[in-house]
Amino acid sequence: MMRAILHWACRLFLAAVFIYSGYTKVDNPLQFAVAIEGYKLLPPGMVLWVVKTLPWFEIALGIALLAGIALRYTAALAGALLAFFIVIMAITYLRGIEASCGCFGLGEPISPLTLLRDAAFMLPALFLAVRPRIEARLMPSRRR
Amino acid sequence: MSPHTRFFAALLFLLAAALPLRAQSGAAALSDMCVGGQASAPIRIEVFSDFQCPACRAFFLDTIRPLLAGYARENKVCVVFHDFPLQMHTYARAASQYAAAARRLGLEQWVRVTEALYTDQPQWAEDGKLDPVVARVLSPEDMARVRKLIADPAISQAVDQEVALAARRQVRVTPTFFVFANGREQRVEGSLSYPILKDYLDRLLR
Repeated sequence: MMRAILHWACRLFLAAVFIYSGYTKVDNPLQFAVAIEGYKLLPPGMVLWVVKTLPWFEIALGIALLAGIALRYTAALAGALLAFFIVIMAITYLRGIEASCGCFGLGEPISPLTLLRDAAFMLPALFLAVRPRIEARLMPSRRR
Repeated sequence: MSPHTRFFAALLFLLAAALPLRAQSGAAALSDMCVGGQASAPIRIEVFSDFQCPACRAFFLDTIRPLLAGYARENKVCVVFHDFPLQMHTYARAASQYAAAARRLGLEQWVRVTEALYTDQPQWAEDGKLDPVVARVLSPEDMARVRKLIADPAISQAVDQEVALAARRQVRVTPTFFVFANGREQRVEGSLSYPILKDYLDRLLR
């Protein structure tokens, strides 16, 4: 019972994070573009591509998590995306660039706090991606 | 006091109370006017910028300048420019006063002074020598008028009004700009490159 509640809590939380994050970017694409340009990693053409595709990808991922479509894989993809964000933010932070993280709308600067927050978001993603495997190993009879 | 006298006294009081408001809105009207394009343009971009902020320099020279030369000239966009000198920048307010004085002379003078102030920002931000920067782009007659205007308290008040407007609009960082189009307002904090803004405007104009 507890595991089922935890499973649903992780799914709902992660889906909400991705849908809300995508929505804020779709709602204010220019602010998101400012954030992506602030990372000083991509040329304008690539920035435009990221601005147009990433928010919809996040929303689609959130909906897939909510609907439970290929849950293990979507959760793994969400975890990988969060890991990618953490690496990019950490590189920018270590380069001493004062950029906005572009996570949830208006100017939130990259800081150890934003890195920790994204790392915390990875926990439910990892739980959802790994849990079925662990359970399968612990309870081989349930696989039948 | 008869009811008539009371009525006229109340009317006079209301008129007297409304007059400063009218005078204030009249003074603010200049800064609310488009520096590029016309009010009838389908898109309105309002910029809050600080002359001493490096990101504002990049935003003006690399994004606003081509925007004024292209979309604003074709009246696709109306650009409204507000000075918002931040207290942390020693010479920003003085620079705003020069720009406000140039704005009183005309739009052409304002454009020249604003471009010169942003172009030479790294230099005057160090030594505070604003007067030669402005003098270089104005005729001696215009420069004399600008120097006279700067001493006028009305110019300082105009800058105060811009700062008050920024506070009312909850502008916290520079540059901040607002895009008004299709009945919607979008607030953007930070500098944006021209190709990206252009792509967005093209989609709005489609």
